[in-house]
Amino acid sequence: MKRFILAFIAAYVFLFFWGWLLNGVVLKDVYAETPNLWRSQSEMMSLFHWIIVGQALIVFAFVMIYASGFAGGGVAAGIRLGILLEIAAIGMRMGFYAVQPFPGKLIVYGSISGLIEMIIVGAIVGAIYKPTSERTP
Amino acid sequence: MNWNKFFTAFIAAFIFLFIFGFLWYGTLMRGAHEEVQALFRTKPDFPWLILGHVVMAFFFAMLCVRFVPAGGIGASAALGILVGLVYAGAHLISFAVEPLTTKILWGWIAGSVIQFAIAGALVGGIYKPRPPMTS
Repeated sequence: MKRFILAFIAAYVFLFFWGWLLNGVVLKDVYAETPNLWRSQSEMMSLFHWIIVGQALIVFAFVMIYASGFAGGGVAAGIRLGILLEIAAIGMRMGFYAVQPFPGKLIVYGSISGLIEMIIVGAIVGAIYKPTSERTP
Repeated sequence: MNWNKFFTAFIAAFIFLFIFGFLWYGTLMRGAHEEVQALFRTKPDFPWLILGHVVMAFFFAMLCVRFVPAGGIGASAALGILVGLVYAGAHLISFAVEPLTTKILWGWIAGSVIQFAIAGALVGGIYKPRPPMTS
């Protein structure tokens, strides 16, 4: 349980800063091209708690999946899980692109960064979480 | 890995995800989506929609097979719920940055969890590992 919580916190901290760096800094100008698709800055700030809850849910579900089906494989298994989950999510992004008028480059940048993000999340979780039987007394 | 069973499971997952998506998001939630028309295309871009579902179904089925190598409805459905929660998290973030309504948010969250739980059960029910070869 301790390892689970540690893995969750470490992956969450990374995801939070990665999300801020990518969406708040690097892709800022791309988002600015379609202002009608996004909330105003003040509105986003008033709903910021949903971003925190959403990221926490993503990390929690990731660590749960790892702990119940991939644990024991270490960093490599974590990275494999990250890649599988993210490529499935790229499929979902394509689906959103089909129904919402997002700029294509936002989908491409989001998918590339999402893949890097999930590989790193997987590596963090795989490095920290160990199943009970693997730990030394 | 039993590729024949995997391929059947992938096709079943694709068909289910696509039909469920059409019924849930395209029909049941149509009114909710129409409340914020500016956020949606007037007509879906079908090649991307189909390709997206193919990619999603293939890698979700692959995840199920890696997660539950022996197959099994219950464990794969549990994985489906967890994958649905990953997408639910993404929907919460979308709600914070896009002017979506709460009706759309909860519809998308419920849709993701139900959709992937059933897709997981389908993959788990169809996929069986290759029997060991006897000499």
